[in-house]
Amino acid sequence: MTNDWVNAMKFNLRNLLQMVLLSVSLPAFAAPDAHSILKDSDQARGGGLPGIVWEIKLQSRDGDRKDEPQRILVKAVDDSSVAETQEPVRFKGSKILQVERSMWMTRPGLSKPIPISPRQRMSGQASNGDIAATNYAGDYEAELAGTENIDGEECHVLNLAAKHKRATYDKIRYWVSVKRVVGLKAEFYSVSGKLLKTARFEYGNTIEHEGKRIPFISRMTIRDALIDAETVMEFGTVKVKKIAASEFDLGQIQ
Amino acid sequence: MSCIRPAGLCLLAMLTVPALADEADWHTSWDGTLYAYANRMTLRDDSVLNPYNQIARLPQASEVAELRTGFRVENETVRLSGRFIGSTREMRNGFGQSSRSEAYASLWQARVRTGENWNVAAGRDVLNWGAGQFRSPSSPFYFDNGRTDPMRELVGMDMMKISWTPDMQHSAHLVRVVRSGYGAVQPDAWRNSWLVKLDRRSDELAYGAVAVKAPHLGAFYGVHGQYTLSDELMLYGEFGSSVLPVVLQSPADEAQPYVVQSPSPRRSAALVGSSYTFENGQSLMAEYLHDGHGYTQEEERAYFQRATTQFGLPLGLMPRLLGRDYLHAVWQANMMSDTGYWRMMYTRNLTDGGNEFAAYGETTLHPRLSIFGLVVLPLGGARQEAGALFTRSVTIGFKSSM
Repeated sequence: MTNDWVNAMKFNLRNLLQMVLLSVSLPAFAAPDAHSILKDSDQARGGGLPGIVWEIKLQSRDGDRKDEPQRILVKAVDDSSVAETQEPVRFKGSKILQVERSMWMTRPGLSKPIPISPRQRMSGQASNGDIAATNYAGDYEAELAGTENIDGEECHVLNLAAKHKRATYDKIRYWVSVKRVVGLKAEFYSVSGKLLKTARFEYGNTIEHEGKRIPFISRMTIRDALIDAETVMEFGTVKVKKIAASEFDLGQIQ
Repeated sequence: MSCIRPAGLCLLAMLTVPALADEADWHTSWDGTLYAYANRMTLRDDSVLNPYNQIARLPQASEVAELRTGFRVENETVRLSGRFIGSTREMRNGFGQSSRSEAYASLWQARVRTGENWNVAAGRDVLNWGAGQFRSPSSPFYFDNGRTDPMRELVGMDMMKISWTPDMQHSAHLVRVVRSGYGAVQPDAWRNSWLVKLDRRSDELAYGAVAVKAPHLGAFYGVHGQYTLSDELMLYGEFGSSVLPVVLQSPADEAQPYVVQSPSPRRSAALVGSSYTFENGQSLMAEYLHDGHGYTQEEERAYFQRATTQFGLPLGLMPRLLGRDYLHAVWQANMMSDTGYWRMMYTRNLTDGGNEFAAYGETTLHPRLSIFGLVVLPLGGARQEAGALFTRSVTIGFKSSM
């Protein structure tokens, strides 16, 4: 009886130990969490940072016609941004202020800032949301849809669905590098599922944040899915810094 | 302090900058544009208010050269900015020709960030807000919104301002308006007035409330708001309750004379509007304005009738808008386009039935050179607001960026 009891106890303890070991080691083998991947990849495009200041050079092409190059200085925190045109010189000083979904445009000499619709595009294929810090983790529900190779680099494939109306796109299919945790490719879809645009991302910049060096976006190429048109955005002089809320105050934008 | 001395304040700000900014990065920028344009205006000979141009002696032809420059010097703590305009204007009419040259600062500001959420500023600032395009009823200073002379930039009010911005969604401003800026009508009703403004910007809704108290006028109260309904549709509105310094009352009974009232009774003005943006970036706006300070149909009729015997006064003290109700529509090109811009405007005075069409167009010839044109076509009789003074105005010119 005593031996049986001892054997039973040994068996139960062994099982318990195995269960504890199993539960401890489970996370190491668990499937990666789509939201965490998205959140980490956002950092390389300005998301989750206290604020970012960058200069963007835009060059758009529609068929054989090349638009005039643009240079804009952007200050962004999460969903808010101020984009000030530096070039072409005739638009120098023009600003677009975006606070969540509300947007205004102002130019030197204008009687007052003009509210503009989120439908107004920056230039060519670029939307206002493309120049601001990326906060896909806050704007979209993410779902893992397997892995695929992009230019020989293994990527998580994420299906993103907009959580709210202020998201720039309704649906996105997003390829995030498994190794570098940065977005390499995106396809942007309408609500009906029609492919609108595709984008490719390069990360030639590096920033320092909380003692870590993070690869940072240097180039975004957006192609229209329906016509032969593309916009190339080059990101330079990137600075991570806290930006005062007054920078986004319409009453102090002068 | 009864008035601001711009040079002194700039110097003060510059002296304090090094101490405040220390190692901060300085960012400087400037812009300049040279404008040259000519205007031809066809005046109405049978004008009731200005017969044969005898009273107002408006220019029938004018040529203008204007240099507009702006600068900004700033770091994390301090921002100095200014906008300066120098112009020379040649004008001709049936009585002869004249010229006028002027140079002034339309805007300038020295702003210091005194704390995490606080800014203090002094300078000349355009205190205009709200989404209304036709008029700005929520601003006591710029009801006209620059519509009377669309080629001229608005000049700011000389002021000192304390701003509190605890986050991106909220801000509050306390402003001491020292006086109206360059070229203001005298006596200056806004001299030494106080302004309080609260603003809130949220996901889809942005709105603000303002109160202004001038020493010799009843308080002004205003609100404005805009609601982004969808990516393409926006609704907006502005409201203001005001007492004006001087108004010309026009009793509906033509036998009664005009009455100059100072100050005016309290009246309200409200504007509601909507804006729809098409897939190609073009947008359509429609606005309705009710101005309680305007005349009723009978009062406006009596205003013109009396003007046939009483010259000068009806034009000199002409109300900011003659009618009480207006419809304004705008169809415009994509404002973000870098190759050109056009804008078609239609205004109907619902009180007297007069209409006005206006069109502006601009195209780029070279990255630094654009040509533009503005045509205003009032369609109304001599006793309707739209056609009271002229029947056509055409402006063409070019602008060159430096």
